[in-house]
Amino acid sequence: MTATGTSSSLLPALPPAPEVGRRNVLLVGTVFLIAAGTTLFGGLLAGYFSAREMVEAGGEVWPPDEVVIPNVPLFVGYLTLLMSSVTAQWSVSAINGRDRRTTYVAIGLTLVLGLAFVNALSFSWAALDIAAESSRFATTMFAVTVTHLLVVIAALVAFVVVGFRALGGQFSPANREPMVCAAAFWHFCAAIGLVIWYCIWFLEGGP
Amino acid sequence: MTMTETKSEPRPDDGGRAVEGPAGTGPVQSLTGPALWLTTSDHKVVGRLYLAFSLIFLLVGSAAGGVLGAERIDSGLQVMGSDALDQLYTLHGEVTVLLFLVPFFLGLATYLVPLQIGAADIAFPRGSATALWSYVIGGIMLLSAYAADGGLQGGSAIGVDLYLLSLAVLAASTCLALVSILTTAVTLRSPGMTMLRTPLFTWSMVVGGGLSLLATPVLLARLIELFIHHHFGADLGAVDAPGQLNWFWSIPHVYLLVVPAAGVAAEIVPVLTRSRLRRNSFGIAALGALGLLGFGAWAQVDPYADDLLYVVAGLAALIPALGLLGVLGDTVRRGRFSRQAALLMALGAGVHVFLGTLAGAMQVIPGLELDGTVWAAAQVHYTLFGGAVLGAYAALWYWAPKIWGVHLGEKAGTAAFVLTFWGVILLAAPDLVSGLFSGQLLGATRLGDDSLTAVLNTASVVGGGMAALGLLVVVGDLLARAGRKRGTRAIGDPWEGATLEWATSSPPPPGNFTDELPPTTSAWPVADQRARDRAEDSQGQDVDA
Repeated sequence: MTATGTSSSLLPALPPAPEVGRRNVLLVGTVFLIAAGTTLFGGLLAGYFSAREMVEAGGEVWPPDEVVIPNVPLFVGYLTLLMSSVTAQWSVSAINGRDRRTTYVAIGLTLVLGLAFVNALSFSWAALDIAAESSRFATTMFAVTVTHLLVVIAALVAFVVVGFRALGGQFSPANREPMVCAAAFWHFCAAIGLVIWYCIWFLEGGP
Repeated sequence: MTMTETKSEPRPDDGGRAVEGPAGTGPVQSLTGPALWLTTSDHKVVGRLYLAFSLIFLLVGSAAGGVLGAERIDSGLQVMGSDALDQLYTLHGEVTVLLFLVPFFLGLATYLVPLQIGAADIAFPRGSATALWSYVIGGIMLLSAYAADGGLQGGSAIGVDLYLLSLAVLAASTCLALVSILTTAVTLRSPGMTMLRTPLFTWSMVVGGGLSLLATPVLLARLIELFIHHHFGADLGAVDAPGQLNWFWSIPHVYLLVVPAAGVAAEIVPVLTRSRLRRNSFGIAALGALGLLGFGAWAQVDPYADDLLYVVAGLAALIPALGLLGVLGDTVRRGRFSRQAALLMALGAGVHVFLGTLAGAMQVIPGLELDGTVWAAAQVHYTLFGGAVLGAYAALWYWAPKIWGVHLGEKAGTAAFVLTFWGVILLAAPDLVSGLFSGQLLGATRLGDDSLTAVLNTASVVGGGMAALGLLVVVGDLLARAGRKRGTRAIGDPWEGATLEWATSSPPPPGNFTDELPPTTSAWPVADQRARDRAEDSQGQDVDA
């Protein structure tokens, strides 16, 4: 656009109108994904409690007497997952502060803590020593916890991807949406983990 | 781009030949046929493939329905055992809903939503492409599972596992496609297009798709649990597997499945009657209410027929259905009715949705004891076949110029409408009578002893045959005109449409829009622009005079 007329020629030209931006596309998509994930785990937990009600109505014990829940490794595992949520958010705030070194540390810690959770849950399953077909408790418990583990692994993969992109210097305070989304998904995993720990492990095997 | 480079003008999508990509992306690689289909992330190609595969699967579902109908007549030609019939019964429902209805509207939305809101692309193109191929693989897995004696009551353990896995894949692919569509509708709207100005088909996807995105994972959760239960050796009958899954294709969830068809009708009727809805928000409210009443079916308790919420939801569904019919009727009354195939189909879909909700409202009245009888099948046929499938046909006839660049045949469309509209009435009405007066149970076969029941069942089969013939007309016309590009070539805005998809060529070029979009100051930006252009023309003529 060119300015016309004597007086207007003294004014600087207006900047071009901004292009229609993609308004937080990835973030909104992540929110939808988290909403779907929430009803997925809602459905799984509803199935768990429904099965529990049916079994108890039939006069049986829930969980079966032979099931000894390993409280300590489970507590440590889920606490680790909760702590990893803090480091995930730390990585976002480090990007905000243009602190690349801290970003790498935070992402690395998140991945390590996430892997530690996977290890703790696997250890707990082994310690439980029950087969999936042994009881309705086992079936529904594995349905919930295996699905959660798969979602945590998906979040780990997302963090590995954003980690490599961070190493490539692709993120800045103005361009951090993938990092925010990965962190939001991680928080979702941790929140669901907390609910699962309470509903299944604490209620059934707590002190 | 430097000054010495030449930039070719983007051309309408011509099916894979080398064309200029969206601004700054350079030329698109030249691919055609399966190579293009397998590698594309263009939302238009993905949408077209969704539509094609869903119609192929509908042929399978209709064939299964035909065999089921024939088995209800005591003709002496029964060829299937009762176990196989049970399998066929669930196959018919699952294929119709999960392999046709849901993916058809996902495909339509994948194609249309970015165009309707003035976006250059869908939010997650690769996500949509992944969803498409997951759906195709899931569909093949489902049919293979039934072929291997799978299904809920199947005798093959591997077949049943494959069946559960295939449904899980289909549920996951539905969620993935919905995330992409919903994110597009929320984030990529052109300037000026507020949510209240968003076209009604897009709105129907926001409502129906949004609530499906919350409901489908519950189905997925049930499938995961059933898979673990069955895979490790337990009996599915012990956990009432049918009861855990059937809510997805019975009332009130069917009202959620019909929301996109209602959106299609609300788009077509104003344009083809040269009228407008009194207020866009009336349409939005009807769609929203229909969707909300369909949501939460998964929370039914067993036996749910006595549940107060179930009864209230069934009765209340009449209100939005009546509202929708009222909005459409009022629009027709204020406009000019014409016998265009798309308009007839859209209005027919509205009538069937209303009949379906009426049947649903009666079904939930405990004293009538209709639940579990063929009345329920009639209700689902009215709602899903008459409402949603006829709505899908209407969408094909209305948007075919935009999707394939050719018009579908008016005579074929009218024939398809007559066959489907009256076929569904003949298919469902006898079941209403049988369900009400003789209490004939769902899935019952070989009912020749009672002469009235035999006559009704025969009439129902004839109706199903008419509807199937209607499907063949639709597929035949699509193949002849759109598949072989022999239909009348379409201009950019053949219907004098109102929404932004009509502001570009048919079919649209890569990047969707080449010219500046008309300003969006209402829900009908293209119609507004046309009115402004006409006003300017008439002013110019006055000045000349």
